[in-house]
Amino acid sequence: MKDHDYIADKELAKDFLSNFADDHGEPKYLNLLQDVANRKIKYVQIELDDLVNYKDLDEGFLQRVTENTRRYVGIFAGAMDELMPEPTEAFPVEEDHDILMTQRTEEGTDNADNNDPFQRMPSEIKRFYEVYIKSFSKGAPFTIREVKASYIGQLVKISGIVTRCSDVKPLMQVAVYTCEECGFEIYQEVTARVFMPLFECPSQRCKNNKSKGNLILQLRASKFLKFQEVKIQELAEHVPKGHIPRTMTIHFRGELTRKVSPGDVVELSGIFLPIPFTGFKAMRAGLVADTYLEAMSVTHFKKKYEEYELRGDEQEQIERLAEDGDIYNKLASSLAPEIFGHEDVKKALLLLLVGAPHRKLKDGMQIRGDIHICLMGDPGVAKSQLLKHIISVAPRGVYTTGKGSSGVGLTAAVQKDPITYEMVLEGGALVLADMGICAIDEFDKMEETDRTAIHEVMEQQTVSIAKAGITTSLNARTAVLAAANPAWGRYDLRRTPAENINLPPALLSRFDFLWLILDKADMDSDLELARHVVYVHQNFESPALGFTPLEPSILRAYISAARRVCPSVPPELVEYIATAYSSIRQDEAKSNAPHSYTTVRTLLSILRISIALARLRFSETVAQSDVDEALRLMQMSKFSLYSDDRQKSGLDAISDIYSILRDEAARTGRTDVSYAQALNWISRKGYSEAQLKECLEEYAALNVWQIHPNTFDIRFIDA
Amino acid sequence: MVGPAVDCLLNPLGAVRLSFEKVASASDGFDPASLSNKDWGAKDVFQKFLFDEGGLSQVPFLDIENQRWIRPNSLVRFRGMVQDMLGNEFYIGAFKDGSTWKTNKFADVSSIDMGPRPEMQIWERSLFYCVPVPGQNSWSVQSYPSSSLIHRYHAMSSSQHGEKRSRGSIVDDVESNGSNSELGGTSSCFKKQREEDLPSQALQASHCSQGHDADISMVSNFNKKSLSCLVKIYDSMESELKLNDVVEFIGVFTFDPELVVHKTNSDTLMDDLCEDPLAHLPPSKVPRLHCLIHRKLDIQDFLVGLHIPEPKPSLIRGIRETLLRHLTSVLGNDGVAAQCILLHLLSTVHARVDSVAVGKLSLNLCGLSAETVPIFIGHLNLVVQSILPFSQCIPLTVEYLNTTTLAPRKDYQSNRLITGPLQLVRGTHLTFDETRLISGTLNSVGVANVRLLKNLMECQQVEYEFDYYKMEMPADVQLLILSEGKSNILPADLLLPFRPVGITSVTTPTEEDLHAWRWYLASLRSYSHAIEPEMQKVIEDDMVAARQGDRTLGAADFSRWLTMGRLMSASFGEANLSLEHWQMVKELERLKNERFK
Repeated sequence: MKDHDYIADKELAKDFLSNFADDHGEPKYLNLLQDVANRKIKYVQIELDDLVNYKDLDEGFLQRVTENTRRYVGIFAGAMDELMPEPTEAFPVEEDHDILMTQRTEEGTDNADNNDPFQRMPSEIKRFYEVYIKSFSKGAPFTIREVKASYIGQLVKISGIVTRCSDVKPLMQVAVYTCEECGFEIYQEVTARVFMPLFECPSQRCKNNKSKGNLILQLRASKFLKFQEVKIQELAEHVPKGHIPRTMTIHFRGELTRKVSPGDVVELSGIFLPIPFTGFKAMRAGLVADTYLEAMSVTHFKKKYEEYELRGDEQEQIERLAEDGDIYNKLASSLAPEIFGHEDVKKALLLLLVGAPHRKLKDGMQIRGDIHICLMGDPGVAKSQLLKHIISVAPRGVYTTGKGSSGVGLTAAVQKDPITYEMVLEGGALVLADMGICAIDEFDKMEETDRTAIHEVMEQQTVSIAKAGITTSLNARTAVLAAANPAWGRYDLRRTPAENINLPPALLSRFDFLWLILDKADMDSDLELARHVVYVHQNFESPALGFTPLEPSILRAYISAARRVCPSVPPELVEYIATAYSSIRQDEAKSNAPHSYTTVRTLLSILRISIALARLRFSETVAQSDVDEALRLMQMSKFSLYSDDRQKSGLDAISDIYSILRDEAARTGRTDVSYAQALNWISRKGYSEAQLKECLEEYAALNVWQIHPNTFDIRFIDA
Repeated sequence: MVGPAVDCLLNPLGAVRLSFEKVASASDGFDPASLSNKDWGAKDVFQKFLFDEGGLSQVPFLDIENQRWIRPNSLVRFRGMVQDMLGNEFYIGAFKDGSTWKTNKFADVSSIDMGPRPEMQIWERSLFYCVPVPGQNSWSVQSYPSSSLIHRYHAMSSSQHGEKRSRGSIVDDVESNGSNSELGGTSSCFKKQREEDLPSQALQASHCSQGHDADISMVSNFNKKSLSCLVKIYDSMESELKLNDVVEFIGVFTFDPELVVHKTNSDTLMDDLCEDPLAHLPPSKVPRLHCLIHRKLDIQDFLVGLHIPEPKPSLIRGIRETLLRHLTSVLGNDGVAAQCILLHLLSTVHARVDSVAVGKLSLNLCGLSAETVPIFIGHLNLVVQSILPFSQCIPLTVEYLNTTTLAPRKDYQSNRLITGPLQLVRGTHLTFDETRLISGTLNSVGVANVRLLKNLMECQQVEYEFDYYKMEMPADVQLLILSEGKSNILPADLLLPFRPVGITSVTTPTEEDLHAWRWYLASLRSYSHAIEPEMQKVIEDDMVAARQGDRTLGAADFSRWLTMGRLMSASFGEANLSLEHWQMVKELERLKNERFK
């Protein structure tokens, strides 16, 4: 590389800085420089994105900037020095630095003829701002192990987790000495972390006099930078299997210090550089070079749904998925694909992940949007696996067991700080899961006293603390996913469901869904299980699922996109929902053993679930089909609890379907029922389409109704 | 330099440089960048020397004994487990000396003085910290330097003792071998010479080694006698070597006390975050190995016995018979337990499907009381130690659980992975003696340990602690639990009440038998296995019938049956599951269940 290149490039940099216009046509960098001149900001960040978008882009220039970044930071800084406008606002001259500067500029004229390099004031000392070059915002960051020797000197973007931070320390940038003999100020630029101080005055006068003037280091006049050393480590998901995460040293200077703390997940852009060795280390360094990354920008990663940033082609994929009519089923079956069956449970869990928006009424009342689910069932039906899978899909989730956590561990604890003796508040699992999902396994094993703490969380979504002089209320806007075993270890079919479920009704009514997963003793499922196990042992892989489940990352992205939609219930549906609700209430009143608790909470549940379904379609309004699906799911969850009741009542599925259709037709006073309507009605009661078809055929043969050969519409034959 | 006459064994670096110069001088427009992280043929030279010309047997094993006389910069081999990965190191791989390019590959220090040079290439190499395999039993340790070789080394070193003798290792050797009059006589004068030459250096070196003693014991709680080694791997594929792999490295041994001096003087100004892992591994304590050739080892590679029998069915049956008889007598004539132990010793993880490790068979022998334990456990451990290459026995106590961190843990102070008892290589046998456990309270460490053990039992995975996150590392460990009642801390696949009939005198097996058993267990483990469609039907029907009879049977039990079926047929040296063996498994299961009644 030749020197004149740099002079030309400095002109290019100046041209870019003065002529670049942002989206609004404003000269972005000139404005920034004006702010710098007015001492409002202390650094200028040059974004490579802007450089790419610049109208007179020189490809070679861009490449040189990315490949020899450190040099170009200096070039840009030099260009800025020349472009720096006069301050437009007055600012108080208070700092030592400014006073010294004024003095120096006044004296400067005396030494103007002196071209001794040590006496010429380095530009760094005059500069009161820093220059950073930020890497492209697009494009995936490197993992630490991808940064190879060939990247030395280049601008790279990496991601990782901060593991250690040093204190912020001053780092000398320009050492300033005064000579005892001649009184001149001598400047020494420091580029490494260690430097050899000057002892003899190199000025012309001292040399001529052969006086060997003694130099005294002036700490007040020297320029220091804030400096912090940080270690980052690869993220767990970037480490190949069977390997150990790598670490990298990062140097932060000036304004970038104190931006990170241990545990932060960050994306950094910086220059990958070898550490210049000194002294004995240099001898050893004959062969080995340590490296570090000089940070140029830091971005923190956020882990909330709403702030989830879509990467690359994810937006496109989501759009494609949204157009797919079957997305609801597809998403649901992609949850825990290794768990066989349980389609409706998975659908409910999907809705739990999506949730509905919170409503805050004008009078301050809050209506929760989170959907709570309780899974009950025999041991060994993969409840815990489902829970853990949901937590792994959710961007923010906490998994805990009822046995292991006391009420304090779940909500919040007041603790005495061992050093200051102050009382401090520590959030428990439910508080930590705010705006996320809290999965509680072994819900039934929890102490009665601990369980009461959950009542408040589940409806008011806050945790109130009144202990040791602290009264406060913490937010716990979390969806609760609980798993419980039946009262006697296994579900006892001889007892009523209420006896089997070992939870108080007040708690049960807070769950939108209560699902019972039973281990049924039938040959088919046993054979299915035996086949599965044998297949796994023969082929060392799971049997093909018959579909390709969506990647968890896509699932997460889709859900987070869906959560941004806020659907509303259109007025024309209000009536429909009201009737559905009242009919459930009436059904319950009619049945001789009221074991479900249909309350206003149920109505809210229906709305929540319908809204969640609308969100999945990215629709701003709730459709009737959403309400029907919500009712169907609720019915299914009820059936999972009371299915044996239905069998006891003596009606088989076919005749039950017939009576549903007849009742509905009689209620509306029609003799023609469209197939779609019929399907709607029966699915709300938890029957399948196949059963409906069977019923249609059977009763058509009895001449009860006529079936349209193509549309399957029903026409009742009046007796 | 004479072409092929360079001694690959004693001057490997010479051979490396020679081959580099050949390539460099071959073409005019030589571009060293083209050789970046690539081999230019140096490995071929050694490949030829080691394997085609039979040089391998001459290469000494690097261990604490041999380290005394092995000369630095000579070729050694080292067998160990990859305990930690220290990332990559950048070094000046090639530089221009005058008009010719020279290389520094496979060396810690340059052969000639390295001033600042305008033209050089930075290459990278990966660092692995390797330790002897934890729990390795003495019979599988190989260490046979031929006496002629030692002689050759001594001849070499005494011929150039003027400079080379100042190496600390040699002096140590001389001191310990005081009886060796010839060397013993000269040692004092060498020491004197060294002290005169480099007084400060020697002082600093000794000072440094003292200072770092603590570090060493902190980073590795392995046997003090064992030797750990920092291996530098060149040009390897990123994913080739994994943590906990057992690998044989053949490479250049460097052990340079001069580096120590530089290290101690490393400016104190710089240690804001003193976490250069190498600082805790001073070259004076941990030798460096610049790896030329490496290969992963399997259990079979640890069978020292030279006779490898022809795998004939009759022979295998014979070995099975004798081994089973021996196990039965060790277990007080409990034939069922002996069968289960045999299957257990043959188990290994064949695949991981979702979260299930297929092929594992952990065994819980319960019904052992405090009186019977000393009798049987001692014998059983002895047998396991003498027939398996890697085995360990951990007595579980509340105190042990509360104080030991079982999982390996990353220490960010030293930037090292601190090993734990559960950092084990594939195929290790681990016995937990739960009979000494008494009731007590577990603290948070204890609870974490119990969770870890449970996870290891169920999924054959160990979570390594990285503070900010945990990483699941797959394991393949044969777990045997000895307990009084059923162990709930360590839920094993197979639970068997132990019913010794009486104590029989255990005959010591002959060396020949031991050889045969070692070979049998090592080689039958990896036998392939298949289930014919007719057999599959039988199995499925059996399972459905069993489940109809007993609802508590689940996928885990079915999976265990199939594993036992596989192991049963493997123990007879057969690749297909036959009806006979399936019946044997069912019979074993029946006998086992009868003991619960």
